[in-house]
Amino acid sequence: MRLNKLTSLTVHTDRVWQSQPHPTLPLLATASSDCSVQIISLHTFTPIHSLDSGHQRSIRSIAWQPNTPHPVLATGSFDATCGIWRYYPTTGDLGEYDYSTALDGHESEIKSVAWSAGGTFLATCARDKNVWVWEELEEDNFETLAVLQEHTQDIKCVAWHAEEVLLASASYDDTIRLYKEDVDDWECCAVLEGHEGTVWYVQFEPREDAKRLVSCSDDLSVRVWVRVEKFDGDKARPMSILRGDPVREDWVLESVLPKAHERSIYAVSWSPRSGRIVTCGGDGKIVVYEETPKTTWKIIAELGNAHGFFEINHVTWSRRFDKDGAGPEEEIIISCGDDGVVNVWVLEE
Amino acid sequence: MDGKTANANPTILDRSDLPTRQPALTPESRLSPIESTVPTYPLDPFTTSPSPLSSTSSDDATPDPIDAQEIYDLVANITDPEHPISLGELAVVNLSDITVHDAPHSPFSHVQLEFTPTVTHCHLATVIGLALVVRLRESLPARFRVDVRCKEGTHSTAEQLNKQLGDKERVVSAVENASLREALRKMMLSV
Repeated sequence: MRLNKLTSLTVHTDRVWQSQPHPTLPLLATASSDCSVQIISLHTFTPIHSLDSGHQRSIRSIAWQPNTPHPVLATGSFDATCGIWRYYPTTGDLGEYDYSTALDGHESEIKSVAWSAGGTFLATCARDKNVWVWEELEEDNFETLAVLQEHTQDIKCVAWHAEEVLLASASYDDTIRLYKEDVDDWECCAVLEGHEGTVWYVQFEPREDAKRLVSCSDDLSVRVWVRVEKFDGDKARPMSILRGDPVREDWVLESVLPKAHERSIYAVSWSPRSGRIVTCGGDGKIVVYEETPKTTWKIIAELGNAHGFFEINHVTWSRRFDKDGAGPEEEIIISCGDDGVVNVWVLEE
Repeated sequence: MDGKTANANPTILDRSDLPTRQPALTPESRLSPIESTVPTYPLDPFTTSPSPLSSTSSDDATPDPIDAQEIYDLVANITDPEHPISLGELAVVNLSDITVHDAPHSPFSHVQLEFTPTVTHCHLATVIGLALVVRLRESLPARFRVDVRCKEGTHSTAEQLNKQLGDKERVVSAVENASLREALRKMMLSV
């Protein structure tokens, strides 16, 4: 198959770090070193709003809060704060986004922010080696539920399971760690070791009964990990209420995807529609993989110099909303690069 | 510098012994052949304006590949953070430790530069490494991927240092730091 460019958006004046489609609405948010977030219509591929008065340094990561009446966005910046932005509709025009609150706590650059599937919890991680879990008690009132200090280095990415209260973090210390709420404490329940370099990105399989997650690394590998279910009567045992006895989970390596990248792999995205995986990296390549049959992955599309000579920082699947799209199952790939450009791709025969 | 220097008496090479294509080093000729064709470039490797090198080479159907001497010329005059002496004169950068693979028609080209800190425990090795990464990324066309590494066996925490210098995100955020930026600016005054 081939990746064909649908459109190219020059909406930033510096490197674009990340883009995230809204979970339900035809909106894309992009985060950049120019200290702004752009909100782009996925109907028309035109910018609608510019959020540029919240952060003094690079905006590294963004996340849309699920299940809100109006769009709400979290931004993670190298200025060590996490911003919360709320959309307010106004009659007669496009409405506006307000910078409603800043979450302080991290001691250095925030690298990633992520909302849990229901929108209740927000996770943030930073170079200070900490993962913070926040809960929104009421609008703009956030409580810190946990400060998880399991990693020994800079933390690059946080991601939530689509149904369970299960959080993953990926680090410069080459490991992935999983956490869950145990009674009223948050505990590390698994450590995934195997990568031989910084783990840049992690994502659970996007389905409610997911038992797998995917990760990508400086070691040029993309790995799929799977939870080993226990059938040894553990479930019959009453849950311990003692601290220090967390509910351990066993996660093992299931597959290493075919090698395609020649430089650090910065992002991976797993499609909820097609089940395909896409990756991008410092070599300027976008690679698409398909699983046929289960646990066997093959490369179905590969495109070099997708942002000219520039590195590609992020890639994500999105539902296709523009007028030429065929329906809700059709999807696009959105990539962003050091050239300050956001590219939109379709996968075609 | 605050009080104690890491290496009070470094070995200094004679300027006339440094590798160059020029017959003799005069103040004018210290500008490399590449730089003399371009306007002053700000100390910001992450502006989106096209690289001066790529813009000049795009006018030409078959650009001359960049070689190790040109890379050396780009970095040799960076000043050491604690002595008013260049990295070339201190033999922190050496022509023989630069590897260039320039292939304008492949997906990307590659430069590897191994530097030698003046002493094995030099705490300024990170700043020197950062200056080299920034200088090369700022000056070279976008097709280049730059790997700056500490030469094997020359520093007590080389592995840690190399991982940091190889982490693009860490380099970008370091350069956004005002005090580091100022330190880098001073080191680059003479390039």
